[in-house]
Amino acid sequence: MATEVEVSREDQLKFPYWSPIRRRFDPESSFFAAGNVERELLAKQVALDLTEEEKLQFRNMEDEESSKLYCPLVGCGAHLRSLDEFEDHYTSRHSAACSVCSRVYPTSRLLSIHVSEVHDSFFQAKVARGFAMYECLVEGCGLKLKSYKGRQQHLVDKHKFPTSFEFFKKAHPSKKQRKKDQHKQAFGTKEAASRAMQMEEDTMDNLVSAVSKLSTSDSPSSISFGRRHNRGLTFVPRAVRQAKEPESSARRS
Amino acid sequence: MADEITPRRDPIKSSVGNVAAQRRRQHAITVAKERREAVVRTKRLCRVGVGGGGDDQLTYDDDGDGGDMMIDAEQSILEAQTCSAVQDLKLAMLFQGKGAMQKRVAALREVRRLLSRSEFPPIEAAIKAGAIPLLVQCLSFGSPEEQLLEAAWCMTNIAAGKPEETKELLPALPLLIAHLGEKSSLPVAEQCSWAVGNVAGEGEELRNILLSQGALPSLARMMLRNKGSTVRTAAWALSNLIKGPDPKAATELIRVDGVLEAILQHLKKADEELATEVAWVVVYLSALSHVATSMLVKSDLLQILVERLGMSNSLQLLIPVLRSIGNLVAGDAHVASTVLVIGQSITDSILPALIKCLESEHRVLKKEAAWVLSNIAAGSVEHKKLVYASEAVPLLLRLLVTAPFDIRKEVAYVIGNLCVAPSEGSGRPKLIADHLVFLVSKGCLPGFIDLVRSADVEAAKLGLQFIELVLRGMPSGSGPKLVEKADGIDAMERFQFHENEELRCMATKLVDKYFGVDYGVDDE
Repeated sequence: MATEVEVSREDQLKFPYWSPIRRRFDPESSFFAAGNVERELLAKQVALDLTEEEKLQFRNMEDEESSKLYCPLVGCGAHLRSLDEFEDHYTSRHSAACSVCSRVYPTSRLLSIHVSEVHDSFFQAKVARGFAMYECLVEGCGLKLKSYKGRQQHLVDKHKFPTSFEFFKKAHPSKKQRKKDQHKQAFGTKEAASRAMQMEEDTMDNLVSAVSKLSTSDSPSSISFGRRHNRGLTFVPRAVRQAKEPESSARRS
Repeated sequence: MADEITPRRDPIKSSVGNVAAQRRRQHAITVAKERREAVVRTKRLCRVGVGGGGDDQLTYDDDGDGGDMMIDAEQSILEAQTCSAVQDLKLAMLFQGKGAMQKRVAALREVRRLLSRSEFPPIEAAIKAGAIPLLVQCLSFGSPEEQLLEAAWCMTNIAAGKPEETKELLPALPLLIAHLGEKSSLPVAEQCSWAVGNVAGEGEELRNILLSQGALPSLARMMLRNKGSTVRTAAWALSNLIKGPDPKAATELIRVDGVLEAILQHLKKADEELATEVAWVVVYLSALSHVATSMLVKSDLLQILVERLGMSNSLQLLIPVLRSIGNLVAGDAHVASTVLVIGQSITDSILPALIKCLESEHRVLKKEAAWVLSNIAAGSVEHKKLVYASEAVPLLLRLLVTAPFDIRKEVAYVIGNLCVAPSEGSGRPKLIADHLVFLVSKGCLPGFIDLVRSADVEAAKLGLQFIELVLRGMPSGSGPKLVEKADGIDAMERFQFHENEELRCMATKLVDKYFGVDYGVDDE
């Protein structure tokens, strides 16, 4: 067995490449459990009058017993009776799909956070007013941050997420979809307007800075979008919309 | 008044029936649990006398109930009978007059019969009735052979039960061990070794006590004999005695004069039943003791094991033989270079034998054979080439897709090990490109991506590591497309919310490096 050595942060970050090594197991290791059960079954089938059915039961029981398996997605912890069960569990519990952009999230909570942050203009309005709207993704933490980047930093600092983690990732569309998007960008269809609803972080920044440019020196320094009755950014000034064409945030294939 | 409905009282019969049904169900659960214990523990009930002894043809269903599980009533009858049989024994022990010995033996026989009649002997009842001190008395030196035999048989079955029951036999141990000596008659020695084997199978604590009382040399000597059930029982008892986890017993055993030769002789020549038990001794020797492993490796053992592996069709024998080979290959760095030398006949015959196991219908053989192959494939480049060129590869590729999870994981280790050269120093190990290209072309990638999706951390890590090889090593940058086509990106993106940090980092790194913003931009 390799000895524990002080591992530098850099080493920790290195990808653990495949390295062929010999693997050894202790005699009582769970690796050998099935063979041990088989030994006993074969040796005692006469003395204990075991039926074929019983033997099968014992073999399968061994599988389930040794499965101290729990769903590995953050915050789930569901007990899995067997590894085969995981796939079913995943598709039924962890495939919350966004109806607007088809991104998939492992919990309905994360999905709803996504929808608010990306498809809800009201959310953006509150952000622009300085409310802390970006929730921490870890269930139970409860902290809210004022910006996407701030939330990101919190995840890395407090909850040890990798620095490259991106909650809102650019999707990886299929080749067909990518071609479609490239066409769309070239011809600028009407969909661009509805796309404005899909605010990306940089679009947001541009929006804020663009609007601030529109304001006069008399207006209050803090930007407030719409009034109490309005839902906010439903109508985006054309000047702002054309400031930056949203990137191909195409559907996931 | 018409609205009032007086509650009907259930007839008394059915409520009694319910209670009885419930009791039966409860009993069934207990019985199932006890049955499970009886199977899983490494003890063996003695239902037929050793060496063909025992006076009656034992019928397992001598109460004609069709062998159904015993219900409450029958069990308590058995217990009552046991209690009275022990009382009879007590009286017989006190009796001094003519025919005392016959009386004693007859009483012992009755207790023995009750303790070997069913799969669940009334051990607790026997102990409560005070059987053990009487049995210990019956084991005293100079007692007639039949008496020793019956007493030891009773103890064998008492020791086959629960921990607290087995521990009651502590006072008997020195006597049992003493009767293992070379002056004892063979049947007596064998029956005592069976009892000792059951006690050793109980746990580490009792094993240590037996060892401190000198059980090991006596049992070892019994294994030196040529044939007969005595050797077999002694070998089985030894496997229980040395199983550790402390390796000192295993080391002590291999150092006993003549043991190594006896092991080699039995594995080479003996019938499959005996070879099986001896092979299990080798399993524990090779798994626990470095001293034993190096002695075994220097001998002919591996050759003999490989021959058996290739020739036998008995699952019982194949399991410990295969595992012994596995332990030796895994445990000793020199096995590959000194024994499995390329060109030697052993090296030529080990692969077909392992392939035979891969083709077997038995899960255990498939899994452990793949494990052995993975360790061979973790050796030198020559060894990798040997495995790569063999008939194993098409089999492995098939198993990677169709086999149960635990087998697929082992197969993954083989395939991956075939694609990576032995690491030199601290750098990243080099790829063996043509192996990788070939295996990927044969469709092994989906199997690895499947592992990435599993809930098992080790398997997921393996899958990601292999994906990295593909992304890095496939020629002309064809890796990323291949991985994408096999839904690899999708599988990796699952890790965004995975609780294991290492896996998250690994997946993120791969996605960022190979599927970043520029991915697919230059498509035709």
